[in-house]
Amino acid sequence: MGEIPRERADSFEQVLRQREAQVLRTAFRILGNWADAEDVAQEVFLRLHRHGLDFANDGVTGAWLYRVTVNLCLDRTRSRRPSQELPELPSLARSAESAILIEEKKQRLMSALAMLPTKERAAVVLREIEGLSTAEVAAALSSSEVTVRSQISKALVRLRGILTREDV
Amino acid sequence: MNENEIRELFREMRDEPIPADSLARVRAAVDQRIHQRPSASAWKLAAALAMAGCVVAGLLWLKPGKPHRQVTQPEMAQALSPVEIPPPPEVPTRPAPRPKRARARPVVESVPVSIRIETPDPDVVILLVN
Repeated sequence: MGEIPRERADSFEQVLRQREAQVLRTAFRILGNWADAEDVAQEVFLRLHRHGLDFANDGVTGAWLYRVTVNLCLDRTRSRRPSQELPELPSLARSAESAILIEEKKQRLMSALAMLPTKERAAVVLREIEGLSTAEVAAALSSSEVTVRSQISKALVRLRGILTREDV
Repeated sequence: MNENEIRELFREMRDEPIPADSLARVRAAVDQRIHQRPSASAWKLAAALAMAGCVVAGLLWLKPGKPHRQVTQPEMAQALSPVEIPPPPEVPTRPAPRPKRARARPVVESVPVSIRIETPDPDVVILLVN
């Protein structure tokens, strides 16, 4: 116990710097707020420190980080009280300028994303926002590629439904 | 909003910057918790040892008796050697019953009897002295 060997601390520091944005962004997209995302990111890196950096390559490190991040986010959403209110979708009629309009659309999309079941949401975040392959998403979620494809397809239908209802 | 539009928005989100203060907070917290860990675990270890000591002391206090002695090697060998059968203990003999002594009857002073009259009651005898 006690002091970490210098070499290992340096490489851990390196991984932390390289991957902190990935972990924090993924956690934020799944959880929907920065405070929770920060807690999850901390826990992810503490687990990485305990686990050590015995990964075959950078890709494996990334996949491990995604898996731990998603699992911690799922645990956190499970422990939340179900009575928690769903976020309100911001109104479209607030601004006419296109940049602001796009921002608003993004916000509405994020709010709609928060309404999806957690596993579907995680699949969409990893596949569509993080740009992972279906196989990588399946590995991160510990499920099959078929399941992931089905989850993403269902999620997109639901999102379209939610956003269309709001447009009306 | 159609599916393509949704996918396009998701792609844009990929490149969105992360708030710098969030990143800084995560880094600081991770660093702090990693360096704090040894002292925290030392405290936990000390607390666990103290607790174990209390439990052992409590058990010893509750159960006074011969302290558990560790069996030494020669004793173990002795224990494993063929067992000598001790001679059967002497059966304690009961002391022989004392011969019953006939209760001494009260000695009746011999008196010269001149007439002895038997009555119908066998226990009653009339003696006329002199």
